[in-house]
Amino acid sequence: MSARQVKRQLRRVGLGLGAAVLVLWSLAPIYWSFLTSITPPSGLVSEGLRLWPEAPSGEHFAKLFGATSLSQGNEVQSVWPQFSAAFANSLIISLLATVLTVILAAFGAWAFVRLPFPGKNVLFIAVVATLAIPAYTVMIPLYRLMIAAGLIDTYAGVTLIYVSAFLPLALWLMRSVYQAMPLSLEEAAWLDGASKLRAFVQVVLPLAGPGLVACGILTFLSAWGQFMVPLVFSPTLATKPLTVLIPEFVTRNYVDYGLMNAAGMVAIVPPMILVLFLNRFLVQGLMAGAGK
Amino acid sequence: MGRVGFSSSRFRLSRDARLGLMLTLPVALIMGGLVFLPLLSTLFDSLYRVEPMKPGNPFVGLKNYATLMGDGTVTTAWGNTATYVVLAVAIETIGGLGMALLLNAITVGRRWLLAIMVLPWCLPPVVNAIIWMWIYNPSYGPLNGILMAMGIIDAPQVWFNDRETGLFLVSLVHAWRMMPLTAIILFAALQSIPEELYEAARLDGAGPLHRLRKITLPLIAPGLTIALSQSTVFAVNLFDEAWVLNGASMDTRSVIIQVYVTAFQNLKFSLGMALSVLAMVVSLAVSAIYVLRVYRETRFE
Repeated sequence: MSARQVKRQLRRVGLGLGAAVLVLWSLAPIYWSFLTSITPPSGLVSEGLRLWPEAPSGEHFAKLFGATSLSQGNEVQSVWPQFSAAFANSLIISLLATVLTVILAAFGAWAFVRLPFPGKNVLFIAVVATLAIPAYTVMIPLYRLMIAAGLIDTYAGVTLIYVSAFLPLALWLMRSVYQAMPLSLEEAAWLDGASKLRAFVQVVLPLAGPGLVACGILTFLSAWGQFMVPLVFSPTLATKPLTVLIPEFVTRNYVDYGLMNAAGMVAIVPPMILVLFLNRFLVQGLMAGAGK
Repeated sequence: MGRVGFSSSRFRLSRDARLGLMLTLPVALIMGGLVFLPLLSTLFDSLYRVEPMKPGNPFVGLKNYATLMGDGTVTTAWGNTATYVVLAVAIETIGGLGMALLLNAITVGRRWLLAIMVLPWCLPPVVNAIIWMWIYNPSYGPLNGILMAMGIIDAPQVWFNDRETGLFLVSLVHAWRMMPLTAIILFAALQSIPEELYEAARLDGAGPLHRLRKITLPLIAPGLTIALSQSTVFAVNLFDEAWVLNGASMDTRSVIIQVYVTAFQNLKFSLGMALSVLAMVVSLAVSAIYVLRVYRETRFE
């Protein structure tokens, strides 16, 4: 082998090792949590580091999903009613926020790119600048506002707050999508007599599909993972999401790690599915949002 | 022709303007009502005493800010947040750059490597914190197990007993989540560097380190600026990880946790607002570069 070939081989080994480290760094913690969720309570204490539990058990998941459950030999009330309500809340609020944000961003960003109107730049800069403002700066007045409006602990209230938090990024992203599209597409439709709005809806919007999907994924993930906002605005199970419920498992008499990890594993199913099936859009969206 | 064209384009302009205003009105309403008005309210109310348990809202000037300056708890929280920023930004930038370079060099299976890399960023921060809380567990966590197997420590450690260690461990969880974002920003920047530059440098006999310093780093500098400012803003706003891992403990309490405790547990609204104003100023100052870039870009059109 020539020196050049050796060098190339070394490079490949190095890259392979790097990739292995990357995979391990990203997945090992999640895998460990998964192992914990299928290890029986006794095994959590006795077993050390291992790749698979001695006797996998669905005990923790049974505790989550069962009508009643056993804890240290005593029958205790199951967490299922709370867990299912929180799961539904997470799903409903995240989906509502995603749909609203994507629609507002789809039309709004196009207007920012293609239409001249007074106050356009000021509004856009002001909206994007809020990306740099910590959510907590507006949280306290927002809390008083929501109480006054009777919107605390309601889907409408929490969804609106999410939309206001995630809209700037969505607008920024959709703007870069429209900017990358040639104006000639729309112009052809205008020549056929279509109005600007009509040309947008019929010609531009379908082509913006990948961008809209990316936008939707980003918004959904942010909404699904949100913790600070619901901690304040969702005090009861009327709107309390999983992210707020799961840490509450700590405040019982002892920390039920098996249960928490099992609940965590359920909570990461929707994000996992999105990454598994739509990772192309997600990565493109992140690159478009960041690469400007 | 010129005159007619002019007037008809003027007519269309105003129709377009109406459409533009109509389409952005919901954006303006939502952002105005839920962000800009509350923001103004925060600025004004931080000069008053607003506490639900006390009657009246007297004007107190800068008293809230003075109280914050003299409060040791607040100073500690600032120290913790500063530590988070330094540690998290350093870990994210170094690790993220490594990831980006790796992804740029690997072409086989890149899509899946990207998906795996971005996964921690996609999970709820609370769940991440729980995953790591169990890893850090003093009795059964694998962190103790691994370090003991490697002979680095000889007895299990209660990690959060030590303030510095606690701050580092919280930063690590935060960095684990945020590193993919830095990596993707830098990867996007790397992708835009033309391959010919490297070819030319190679022909000139430049080694890999030399190429990294002379070509890669200068050309991804804009991306690096964005990555740095976004990771700084997120680190200043660190809440979830510290709260889930260690609650309101002073050892790991960030400024944002301090805001939460002040406003929603001690019910001192205006004091919390004053502190959040300060946090915002810090956050804005460090991300000014980013905002300026946006401004410059929109002005050119």
